[in-house]
Formats: sequence, structure tokens, C-alpha cells
Amino acid sequence: MSEAIAKARAGRAWWVPAVWGALLLAACLGMGALEGLFRWVEPDSRAVIYARADFLTLLGRHLLVVGVAALAAVAIGVGAAVAVTRRAGRDFLPLVAQLASIGQTFPPVAVLALAVPVLGFGTLPIIVALLLYGLLPIVRNTLAGIEGIDPGVREAARGMGMTGGQLLRQVELPLAAPVILAGIRTSVTINIATAAIGATVGASNLGDPIISGIVNGNTAYVLQGALLIGLLALTVDSVFARLQPAGPR
Amino acid sequence: MIDLIHVTKRFGATTAVDDISLSVAQGELCVLVGTSGCGKSTTLRMINRLIEHSDGEIHIDGQQIRAFREETLRRRMGYAIQSTGLFPHWTVARNIGLVPRLLKWPQARIRERVEELMTLLGLPVSEFADKYPRQLSGGQAQRVGVARALAADPDILLMDEPFGALDPITRETLQEELRALQGRLHKTIVFVTHDMDEALRLADRLVVMDQGRIKQQGHPLELLREPADAFVESLLGGEDRGLKEAALLPVSERMLPLSPRLLARERVAHDASLREALSIMLWRHAERLTVVDDEDLPIGELSLRRLVGAKAHE
Repeated sequence: MSEAIAKARAGRAWWVPAVWGALLLAACLGMGALEGLFRWVEPDSRAVIYARADFLTLLGRHLLVVGVAALAAVAIGVGAAVAVTRRAGRDFLPLVAQLASIGQTFPPVAVLALAVPVLGFGTLPIIVALLLYGLLPIVRNTLAGIEGIDPGVREAARGMGMTGGQLLRQVELPLAAPVILAGIRTSVTINIATAAIGATVGASNLGDPIISGIVNGNTAYVLQGALLIGLLALTVDSVFARLQPAGPR
Repeated sequence: MIDLIHVTKRFGATTAVDDISLSVAQGELCVLVGTSGCGKSTTLRMINRLIEHSDGEIHIDGQQIRAFREETLRRRMGYAIQSTGLFPHWTVARNIGLVPRLLKWPQARIRERVEELMTLLGLPVSEFADKYPRQLSGGQAQRVGVARALAADPDILLMDEPFGALDPITRETLQEELRALQGRLHKTIVFVTHDMDEALRLADRLVVMDQGRIKQQGHPLELLREPADAFVESLLGGEDRGLKEAALLPVSERMLPLSPRLLARERVAHDASLREALSIMLWRHAERLTVVDDEDLPIGELSLRRLVGAKAHE
């Protein structure tokens, strides 16, 4: 019976990301169709549809920035968490957990402000800011996932003669995967929204219409940027929801 | 064959195992028994180097265990623990095939061996091979744990309270199966437990430990009859020792040939223990039992007088 439920859940879950994705694409390509609505919101402005760049291009850049930051955060976050759960790295566990927490308490705007003088304007500072901001959920969840494994399983694996690498690849990572994936999901979803501030330092992405709207007092632009970022976040989040196993094993 | 020679283990300032020497012969089932913290588990885990000994030497078939790579050593020994440690994301069949896969056996041979072991441990292949550990009862999971320990056909089996978490009935069934299995496989087994009844039932050699030292070792009957000191005596059950000894002796040992008298109404199997016979007498208010063979045919008789009296003369 539980298999039937899981199947039904999986069946439903596949069209959810598809619908969100289709809405997102439709909004990117057909924003002009909503001109009447935005004219009503902003009757006095000359233009009510953001036209300085194509929405699809902005979406692509937004995804690129978030994607690169996420890949780097996963590599560093999972790597660090794995390293400090090995016997040799145990001593660094509290340090790494603390560093990751500090990463998240540090506001991304402050990181941007500090990064720009060093890295210059453009895409790089925002990637650094997102990377730091997104590390905590990944590190925390990877640690929780690995530490949460029944100690008997690890004892048996070693007692049977598995090497450290075999234990990690065949036992610890597969068992911790759902928890790690949940951390990546949180990290990426937060960063899709946070990436918008990149527009203030010249990284053009879906934050552009929002920043431009704020600067020029054009609420319609702000709404368009917010709408697209919201749809993107929902699409990506529903993809992760689909990837995640239905329940604890 | 396993030899521990003046082995000591210190954790910081505390000494967990204090200068013990122990030799387990090929095919012997050696049970380490004692209260919690007596060092029995530490001793077991030093044999497969999950814990490194501080002093002394441990030999397997005459070779120092430090001469092997840790992994190589462990793959040569079966290991079963109380929590089973089955991998929750692997099926029963895959769990059992773990060590053969680590040893890079060909797929077909692994499958054959896994099916052989599942049959041996009473786990029908068609029913259990594709199940996950969470779908098993405690007794079934422990059978899988034992099957996994036996998978690569090791000469040595290390068992750390494997039946400790099971209900009494399942535990007794598995104990009997382990004895039967041992009768066929003749492994060298080191078995740790704190349950004295389990220890007495299983052991060829019983090793009583206390505070990191071996208090006494020998055949269970030797220890029951001549405990070295008050500690061993109390651990063996104090006044209950008579019953524990009776539990180790079969009825056939005290049975007399059939007399011309009428057969007693109550019967007892010839391979039952004297303890069971005594219990039947108490329960049925009978002083005499007819002993029957496997086919339920009378082969002798046992009187209460004979049951208790013969012991007094020894």
C-alpha cells in the first residue's frame, strides 16, 4: 500500500515543477500581454513593461549566478562537513559548524560592499556573497545527516572490513543524502531571492527590474521582477521536492 | 585459532583490560561473560582491531594481527553485533553479500552463497531476498546479521551480544540454532554476553571476566562445580547452580534401563535436560519418568532419587 501512495505522490509531483516552469516561461515571454494590468498600477509612467533587457536573458543570468554559487557551496559545504566527520578531522568540527553559522549571520549586502573593492563590479562579488550565505544550510544538514546514522551501522561497516572511502561512498553519503538534499534545497531557494541584490553592483539578472523600478519610482518594474523571481523560486523548489524521497526509510 | 598473550588495553589512565591471556582452539565456542564494563567487549573488539591493544600480543593462526592490514584482517572474520548494524538502504540479499563483494567475488558466486546462507538460517529466499531491514522482525534481522557474518566463510566468528535485544523465546531459538550451526560448521567463535544462561547453554569454554581480568575459565560444568571464588559463584547463580548444572546434563546420563515394573505414565525425551525432567516431576507430582527415544518408544526410566542422588555421590 505504501508503494501505491509513493507512486501516486511521485506521479503528482512531476507535473508540479512542469506547471511552475511553464508559468515562468510564459511570464518571461508574454509580459507584454499584461500591459493593461501594469498600466493600471502605474498610470503616469511612460513605459510600464521593463524593456532594457529581454526577460529570458535576465532569467538565464540569474540561474547562472545562483547555479555557480550553489555548485561551489555544495562542493565546499559537503566537503567540509565530510572532512570534519572523519577521525582525523574531528577536532575541527566545532570550528566549521561555527564558521558556517557566521556565514549566514553576515548580511549578503555587507559581503557585497566588502567584495566590490576587491573583486570589482559585476557577477563575481554576488557569487561570493551567495556562496557564503548558502553554506550554512548545506554544512548543517550534511553534518546532521552523517551524525544521524545509527552508530551500529558504522560499527558493522568497519567490523566487516570496509575502508574509510567505502564507508563514506556506500553507506554514509547514501544514508545522509535526503538530509543533505534538503539543505541544498533551502540554500538554493534562499539564494534565488537573495541574488536580486546583485543588480546593485552591476550583475545583471532578474533583480534589474526591481532595482531600476525602485530608482525610477516605477512600481510596475518592481512587480515584474518580483513575479519572475517568485516563479523561479517555486519552480526550482518543486524540482527539489520531486527529487527528494517521499519519507524516511 | 586465536591466542591472546598478556594483552592489556588502557584508555588514558583507566585500564579496561588488564594482562589477560586466553587461547581459543580451532572449532571452539568461547563465551566471555561478566558484568557491564568488565572488559569483555573491549577484548572482543581488540581481536578484529576495532580497538588497538596497548600491550601484549594477539595471534590468529600463529600470526600477529598487526601483520595484516586492518581491512584484510576483518574480512577474514565474521562480526555480528547486538544492533545488527544492517545497512538500512540495502536489501537483505545485498547486506548478506557485503563481505564477498568487498573481496571481489564474481557476481554469480556471491548470489549462490547468499542464497545458500539464507536457506541455512531459515530465511526463504523468495520471501526475504528483496526485503529491506526495516521490514524484518528483530529475530529475522539478527539471522541476517549472522548470515552476513558467515558470508565469506570465515574461520573465525566474533559475536558481541548478538541476541541481547531479542525477546526470550526468539533468543532461545537462535541460541539453539547457533549450537546446531556450530555442530556443522565448526567455526572458532568468540561470543560476548552478560546473560549467564546464554553463556552456559552455548559455551565449550566459559571465560568469566571482572574488572578487566579473567577470573576463571574452563568448561561450564567445571566452573559450576568448582567456582574459583565468591564472585564467580554469585555470577553463576549462587543457590541456583544446581538447576543450571542440571540444565547442561542430558537425561540419558542418569537414565536406568527399563525395569520390569509398570511404565511410569509421564514421559521425558532422552535428549531433554535433567532440569526439564525435574520440572516435569514437580509439575506432574511424579517420582518416576519413562524415558523415550526420538520415535517416542520407551528406552529407560528416571527416578527422582536417581536424578538427585547420583549427583550427591559425585
